[in-house]
Amino acid sequence: MFKNYLKIAWRNLQKNKLFTAINIISLSIGLSASFVIGMMIYHDMTFDRFHKDGDRIFRVTTSFSFGSGGQFYNSGVTAPLGETLKDGIQEIGTTAAFFTIYPVKVTSEQVNQAFRNPQGVMLSNGDYFDMFSYNWLAGNKKSALKEPNAVVLSEKRAGKYFPGLLPEEVVGMTTIYNDSIVVTVLGVVENFKERSDLFFEEFISLETANAFGMQDQVFSTNWGGTNSNSQLFVKVNDLEMTASVQQQLDALALEHEDEESKQDGDITSFHLQPLNDIHFSPTYAAYDYSQPQASKSTLKGLFFIALFLLLLGCVNFINLNTAQGFKRSKEVGVRKTLGGSKSQIRYQFLTETFLLTIASALVSILLSMWLLQLFSDFVPASLTANVFTEPMVIAGILALLITVTFIAGFYPAMILSKFKPASAIRNQLAVSNGRIPLRKYLTVFQFAIAQIFVIATLLVGKQINFMMSQDMGIKTDAVVYVDMPWHEKSIEKKERFLNAVKSLPQIQTASIGGRPPASFGYNSAGISYFNDQEEVKLDLQQLFGDTQYADVYGIELLAGRSRLNDTIKEFVINEKAMKLLGFTKPEDALNVQLKISDEVFPVVGVMKDFHQRSLKSGIEPMALVGDGYRNIGFSQFNSVHFSLSGGSETWENTLVSVEKEFENAFPDAEFKLNFMDDMVSRFYLQERKTAKLLKWAMGLSLLISCLGLFGLVIYTTEKRTKEIGIRKILGASLSQLNFLLCKEFLILIGIGFLIAAPVAWYGLDNWLQDFANKTTLSWWIFGISGIAMIALALVIMSAKTIAAANSNPVESLRTE
Amino acid sequence: MLLQLNNIFKWVKTGGQQTFLLKDINFNVEEGEFISIMGPSGSGKTTLLNVIGMLDGFNEGEYNFMDESVHDLKEKHRADLYKRYIGFVFQSYHLLDELTVQENLEMPLLYKKLKGSERKAMVADMLDRFNIVGKKDLFPTQLSGGQQQLVGIARALISNPKLILADEPTGNLNSSQGEEIMGIFKELNEEGVTIIQVTHSEKNAEYGTRTINLLDGRMV
Ligand SMILES: Nc1ncnc2c1ncn2[C@@H]1O[C@H](COP(=O)(O)OP(=O)(O)OP(=O)(O)O)[C@@H](O)[C@H]1O
Ligand SMILES: [Mg+2]
Repeated sequence: MFKNYLKIAWRNLQKNKLFTAINIISLSIGLSASFVIGMMIYHDMTFDRFHKDGDRIFRVTTSFSFGSGGQFYNSGVTAPLGETLKDGIQEIGTTAAFFTIYPVKVTSEQVNQAFRNPQGVMLSNGDYFDMFSYNWLAGNKKSALKEPNAVVLSEKRAGKYFPGLLPEEVVGMTTIYNDSIVVTVLGVVENFKERSDLFFEEFISLETANAFGMQDQVFSTNWGGTNSNSQLFVKVNDLEMTASVQQQLDALALEHEDEESKQDGDITSFHLQPLNDIHFSPTYAAYDYSQPQASKSTLKGLFFIALFLLLLGCVNFINLNTAQGFKRSKEVGVRKTLGGSKSQIRYQFLTETFLLTIASALVSILLSMWLLQLFSDFVPASLTANVFTEPMVIAGILALLITVTFIAGFYPAMILSKFKPASAIRNQLAVSNGRIPLRKYLTVFQFAIAQIFVIATLLVGKQINFMMSQDMGIKTDAVVYVDMPWHEKSIEKKERFLNAVKSLPQIQTASIGGRPPASFGYNSAGISYFNDQEEVKLDLQQLFGDTQYADVYGIELLAGRSRLNDTIKEFVINEKAMKLLGFTKPEDALNVQLKISDEVFPVVGVMKDFHQRSLKSGIEPMALVGDGYRNIGFSQFNSVHFSLSGGSETWENTLVSVEKEFENAFPDAEFKLNFMDDMVSRFYLQERKTAKLLKWAMGLSLLISCLGLFGLVIYTTEKRTKEIGIRKILGASLSQLNFLLCKEFLILIGIGFLIAAPVAWYGLDNWLQDFANKTTLSWWIFGISGIAMIALALVIMSAKTIAAANSNPVESLRTE
Repeated sequence: MLLQLNNIFKWVKTGGQQTFLLKDINFNVEEGEFISIMGPSGSGKTTLLNVIGMLDGFNEGEYNFMDESVHDLKEKHRADLYKRYIGFVFQSYHLLDELTVQENLEMPLLYKKLKGSERKAMVADMLDRFNIVGKKDLFPTQLSGGQQQLVGIARALISNPKLILADEPTGNLNSSQGEEIMGIFKELNEEGVTIIQVTHSEKNAEYGTRTINLLDGRMV
């Protein structure tokens, strides 16, 4: 029987080629979007799900909330916490503290080559391996990391440093870190086979900390400092104990808060971050910085796009098949008189749907390849086609196909199988039972969704344009900065490079300082100031730069003077800070004394406000300061900034010379030119990605909806051929006939717009709330997208209706 | 007795007004009869045939088919009944266009869930009997009207019905094709199959053993 169904289904699909094509295209768009997006969701949801007792493993993280305002998050903890928790909290079974480090280079005994900036290196006392089980290919887990100058390598890393050697042979070999630290390989572990954020490859014994200059941090007993490289995992004995553990952590944090912080109202707290939250957490970063943190809200957005595209495809299927029902009513009637039962007929139609779904699935595999490229901004690098071979994924795809078959096929099959044989054979269907056919609701739904995407695309584009065209308040064209190696301690070397740059042609001004005035970075200090009545506390951002810095970026001074020299402890504050301190005129703020801890900084100038980050966020209080802590080893001057004259096409020689000078000064370091205008446009990377995605979602949803519309129009014009003929003989004009045929659909599209507009307005208004500087939700965006939609629909419908209206009435009446 | 209709009424409500399609229909049919139903267009012939074939319901009266009270049966049960005992032949043949002759014949057997080998044998038998073996792989649109009606009759017969209901089986055919079809009906009737046909032609009605005349839904 099934074979017979397939045969009939196949012949039916072949007979209605156009409808089959419309169905397959719409379904396969929905399916391929679901495949790709489903894969991405599956990929991101399956990180670190395989660890033994993984649900009881937590990372301890730190958050700070400052009395002066501001909330900060650090994925690390203060170093002494690990040791304290080890025996301090009963409910914690295992603790594993380790320190991530960033060696500049590694050389191996075997390969005559330096490996630069190896990633995934940690200092550990071996507890890490008690927390997470690795398969040891060589070496001894118990003893491997107990001695200084020992390292355990992952299988992959071992293969890189010691190609061709077996794990047992690698043990005993030596590697050299940063040209001087000689360590012996005491173990090789297999890399995790499953997806994991624990991307570590080199585990150096904690006792080696001295050699890396880390002893002060690693063995510190001072609770005051928190560095994200100091990582701590704990395993609680029982999930129900987490609340109690959290309480004890809160108590510890309070106990070790220093007096001054308490007075300032600062609060440090520790958090238990579940292991599988690491992959998604927006506040606490994972380890591999080269990979953007996965975002649940992005995945959610993608999920809905896939869902909508799939539903739109199903809608076409339902609409075209119920619309065509009258064509197949005779068949249903005959089958019933031949003994076909309702369920057999339903089953036959479902088989047809399933066949179509399978065909669409095949098409969508090809489309998926293309979509993967399209979504490349969102697809994690570690997601490869291999995912398709995982049993879970295959099962998921099958489940999806069956679900789609039911969603798309069930309603038409129900309707068609209900036809009464006597009236079906007479072609007398109870169509007009007074209810509005589901088809109309679905068409409204389709166009509402497409309309929402159109409005959203226009508005997001408008917002990006708005932000890009806004004046940042600083010079961003023809300004470049170069980072010098962060571990370089010698200021003389840095200044030598600065002077070399200064002397190059086309360099207008050059400066040495910290990060640029607008960046992703953040560096602030809590300051206090006594005005006449009260103490004002402020979280003041610090911008480090020499006296030339303001010139390079065209930062304007409103009052006072710039600082006297590069290291003097003086502030040039911005207008925002001035206002928060209680002044309205820049002159009044001059010579005010601001306190950081016990040190006093006079305000010597006030600079004009500029945007320090993207226009998403507002302007924050800020001060331009010098390299005041240089002499105690905390130099902030790590970048050379310069502005260029002439057009960008003439810079090449100069920039090559900058690179040469850089290599002279820092032969081991990596050279990278950072153009400020690139930087600014990178601020809007997220928005641009969203815009791109929306554009595609819009395009695809329009395509599906218009295909569906086209199919329905073909069906109605065919059904009304006779009516058209008669009306024409009675003298109806072409445009009257065209209007007659389009009217019904235009009304549906109009209703779709009425539903879409408020939904889009609400959603976009919400989205805009995240931006400090927002464009207006203009009415014309809605107007234009509504009109565009109707115009598009008219063009598509006219393709068929004009031909129908033009046809010879005698001809059309004869065929009836 | 094969079937019995007692005081059958059927009506529809159109615009609040009751229109009678069948009024007080009474008659019995014995096994082996060949009955012709006649009457002007719109007199309710097709409606009556559909009631007998259980494709359509009625509003009042009793209908017994082989000792079963059709008026009391559930729809599914009724469908089982006509599936087993009744074959339909239509004026416009109503073959399934996307199936070949052979597949059209096979369809009722598939719905009866017969085994493949059994189906093959029965289809081959029918093709033989109606002399259409050579046409078995053609689609209905490739056949003449008379040939299509032959296939239609073969399809109605394949599941060995006791009763054949034919609604103007020759209505779309020329007179010689019509005669051929009527000849086949006569043969079948002689073999013991009960036949009820609707016809407009006196000549065709003469093939039957009895004629029922309808006017405005009433027997006259
Ligand atoms: N579902 C229905 N609703 C309303 N009227 C109906 C319905 N079905 C049939 N009729 C009407 O009942 C009457 C009888 O119809 P029927 O098809 O039985 O006539 P007929 O005798 O077969 O005519 P013909 O010889 O033209 O085939 C007609 O007037 C028809 O319009
Ligand atoms: Mg009739």
